Amino acid sequence: MNDDLILQHGLTLDEFSIIKNYLKRDLTIEELGIFSAMWNEHCCYKTSKKWLKKLPTNNEIVIQGPGENAGIIDLEDQDGIAFKIESHNHPSYIEPFNGSATGVGGILRDIFTMGARPIATLDSIRFGAITTDKTRFLLNGVVHGIGHYGNCIGIPNIGGECEFEHSYDFNNLVNAMAIGHVKKDAIFYSKPKTLGGLIVYIGSKTGKDGIHGASMASDVFSEDDEDDKRPSVQVGDPFMEKLLMEGCLELMASGFIESMQDMGAAGITSSSVEMASKGNVGVHIDLDKVPLRQPLSAYEILLSESQERMLAVIDKDNDDKVRKILQKWQIDYEVIGEITNTKRVVFTSQGKEVVNLPVDIIVEDAPEYDREFFIPRKRKEKTFDTKNLNLDLLIENQLNNLNYIDKSWVYNQYDSTVMGDTIKDPGQSAGVVKIHGTNKAIGATTDCNPLYIRINPKKGMKATVAESYRNLISSNLKPLAITNNLNFASPLDPNIMGELVLSIDGLKEAASYLNTPIVSGNVSLYNQTNDQPIKPTPVIGMVGSNLNYEKLNSNFFQGEDDEILYIGKCLDPSYSPYFLQDQLNIREMNSFNDLADTNLDEELKAANFILESSEQGLIRSCNDISRGGIFNSLLKMIKKDLGFKIEIQNLINLFCEFSAGYVISINKKNKEKISEISKKNNIELYKLGVVKKSTIDINNQKIDFKDVYTKYKKNFENIIH
Amino acid sequence: MTFKSAVITFPGSNCDRDAVTYLEDLTAGPVYKIWHEESTLPNVDLVILPGGFSFGDYLRSGAMASKSQIIKDVVKHAESGKYLMGICNGFQILTEIGLLHGALLQNNGLKFLGKNCFIKKRNRNNFNKSIDDDKILEIPVAHNEGNFYCDEDTLKDLLDNELIAFEYCDGQYSLDEANINGSLKNIAGITNKKKNILGLMPHPERAYQKYHSSEDGKLIIESILS
Repeated sequence: MNDDLILQHGLTLDEFSIIKNYLKRDLTIEELGIFSAMWNEHCCYKTSKKWLKKLPTNNEIVIQGPGENAGIIDLEDQDGIAFKIESHNHPSYIEPFNGSATGVGGILRDIFTMGARPIATLDSIRFGAITTDKTRFLLNGVVHGIGHYGNCIGIPNIGGECEFEHSYDFNNLVNAMAIGHVKKDAIFYSKPKTLGGLIVYIGSKTGKDGIHGASMASDVFSEDDEDDKRPSVQVGDPFMEKLLMEGCLELMASGFIESMQDMGAAGITSSSVEMASKGNVGVHIDLDKVPLRQPLSAYEILLSESQERMLAVIDKDNDDKVRKILQKWQIDYEVIGEITNTKRVVFTSQGKEVVNLPVDIIVEDAPEYDREFFIPRKRKEKTFDTKNLNLDLLIENQLNNLNYIDKSWVYNQYDSTVMGDTIKDPGQSAGVVKIHGTNKAIGATTDCNPLYIRINPKKGMKATVAESYRNLISSNLKPLAITNNLNFASPLDPNIMGELVLSIDGLKEAASYLNTPIVSGNVSLYNQTNDQPIKPTPVIGMVGSNLNYEKLNSNFFQGEDDEILYIGKCLDPSYSPYFLQDQLNIREMNSFNDLADTNLDEELKAANFILESSEQGLIRSCNDISRGGIFNSLLKMIKKDLGFKIEIQNLINLFCEFSAGYVISINKKNKEKISEISKKNNIELYKLGVVKKSTIDINNQKIDFKDVYTKYKKNFENIIH
Repeated sequence: MTFKSAVITFPGSNCDRDAVTYLEDLTAGPVYKIWHEESTLPNVDLVILPGGFSFGDYLRSGAMASKSQIIKDVVKHAESGKYLMGICNGFQILTEIGLLHGALLQNNGLKFLGKNCFIKKRNRNNFNKSIDDDKILEIPVAHNEGNFYCDEDTLKDLLDNELIAFEYCDGQYSLDEANINGSLKNIAGITNKKKNILGLMPHPERAYQKYHSSEDGKLIIESILS
């Protein structure tokens, strides 16, 4: 085997020699393909594993932590909640529509593979500056693709985030999250139980799409790569996925199958290897039996990432029963192999053994690197002058920046109310759905503050976790657990590697303190084109619940004359990075001061105050304070004609970032009760003003309500066109 | 007498469970779930063809579902004068069967629309008789092809025979255009001449619980039952 061929498969020569020394023989091309698929970052986490192990992944409510298709937490009674986030970054840059659509398809399969019915999706998407046609093309394609897939299969899209920033110009990010509901005694795992069980193939026929998708996703782009790599992007068929989902859920309820694994990244290779590894068994698969869309070589079948396919293990006696259920749903079904006791992965094609490898070498001996990393240098303290800013300018700067305004242009292309259980649709602090047939509400949010994390990865990550936490708290949802999607540039650069290591450290600290374990996740590295790396973007998806949906807080003003208050500590403008970037146009990374460290104890105290007040029905509406300060929170709380009249001593503080900050509105008659609870929790309450119809009035300066609100709601569409 | 109803499921239907829940919650009677390959409908007062992407909406929205096995009996049910309602994809299926006239084209904005819309009743019928004339209903839409279109003769027929059940209108605080998708005459829902068949683009089954963004969708079932 020549070196070029090995390198083309994404393996280093060192890695290849480990394999050769172990096997003591030459590899077949199919076997090389298997190592290429299984030993890349996407499948074996070789760069991040060492650090991911440090994360808290368990507490009393965790039923399934990382390592399965999705994590599962306990929601009392018989209810479990499965959830996970996954990236489809590289495919979505090459072919935005199909790349993002199959991202949604993939994450939904991860959920229903566990026996859970998907009940919601969220999307965290990031693009470059909107000034280029390329960004507009990507935005349109990605939103269309996410909508197309989710709308058709009929899972409500309840939230997420959408950010625009230069560093994503050539590497947009698409992270899709899905949540499912499963009865705790009906959870399905990928581990096969019986030797001699039949391995069956369920779903779409295998085609050429996506061959080497997973190894592509672990590669740095160069600009002229785009066209070459397009055939590696999978093509999705949401109708097929809908049938597959219904068919699989019916199968799992029937008791005729014993385990299931979705054919995601690296297709039949990774699903069968994982199955063997988890069960500590062997698999023997006849590739001639795999349903094909077109003639394919054994190598291609092994590496195809055709969508909407599942691998399951059934007892021999159930063959006909399974076939009958799948016929109803018009789904292809074939017995392609069996579970053996050899602990080897064997694939045959046309009577010939093309792969015969011990499971251990593929999984246990997968490389794990301790890459060199740098800790960012200490920053010099600076003070920034804000005297050129006035109220009109501060407001205009927000209204003309896509990152601060209403994004209904995006989510109005998504079906957010299908399934009939949506309580909070996108555009609110968290998306919320009801568990069908119960009073339980499940809420979720996705967040990341890449600028914070670039400035100080550890502190930035803590701030990101805290923000997710506040998003849930403000709706009166108790935060429960986390799924994460670590998007970074090339870890071969020790600075980038440092961001990865330190942000995981921050995640560990915050998640431990807030008792929100990480139950599932995904790592996406090499998000850089030529020398332009993305900002570090470890996205958090946090899930929370309230067992009685009627106790949830609105994030919108409810009635005129309600009093508006806030809690939390305003950061000095010189220590508010987004304020500096978006109001003072500070771009040079070295110019920023170090990040204020998130006081997790303060976050907990503030959260307890909000939760306790909410449970007593004292809060009419609530929103957390984050990027854009109090003013942006207030903008988001406007509903219909309900605006606000407020006063604040220092105007700039309305636009700065906060620690443990929330804006709330209350009925005046409850003022004393609220104030008692605040004292009890050691929280300082600050008065801002009142809710007032058709008004935005700040320190007696009247702002045109209709003009601001219309710009807030409509500018997104104006700017992107 | 108990009110009985049925919901048909096609491969790709995704609002069938929602329609069943809607009927179960708002009518006291049994709700039958019917698979498209069945050949007979139970004896019911109302059949709903639910929303979704029946058969992937390949070919044309609703086209393949309109040829399903169960449809013959659905037509019989309607011919006997009993209620038949097609919501969203169900409306598209009704036009493909030919029980309602006109067609649903792609939205004029060329994008899927998933948001609340505002509608009011135009011509009185058994699906809206309990709704006040000036009542504005806020109900979600979720469609890519909801732009109602028909030829002049059909339009004349719809107008002369007062077959327009619901039309899109302005919402009090909405910044959006009343006509969200380019439909002719703002049409959101129409009936047949006997007024026992309703095709409706908005989804009343997503707007009837207190946790929904509005409860206006109740009014349609209340009209049928009253």
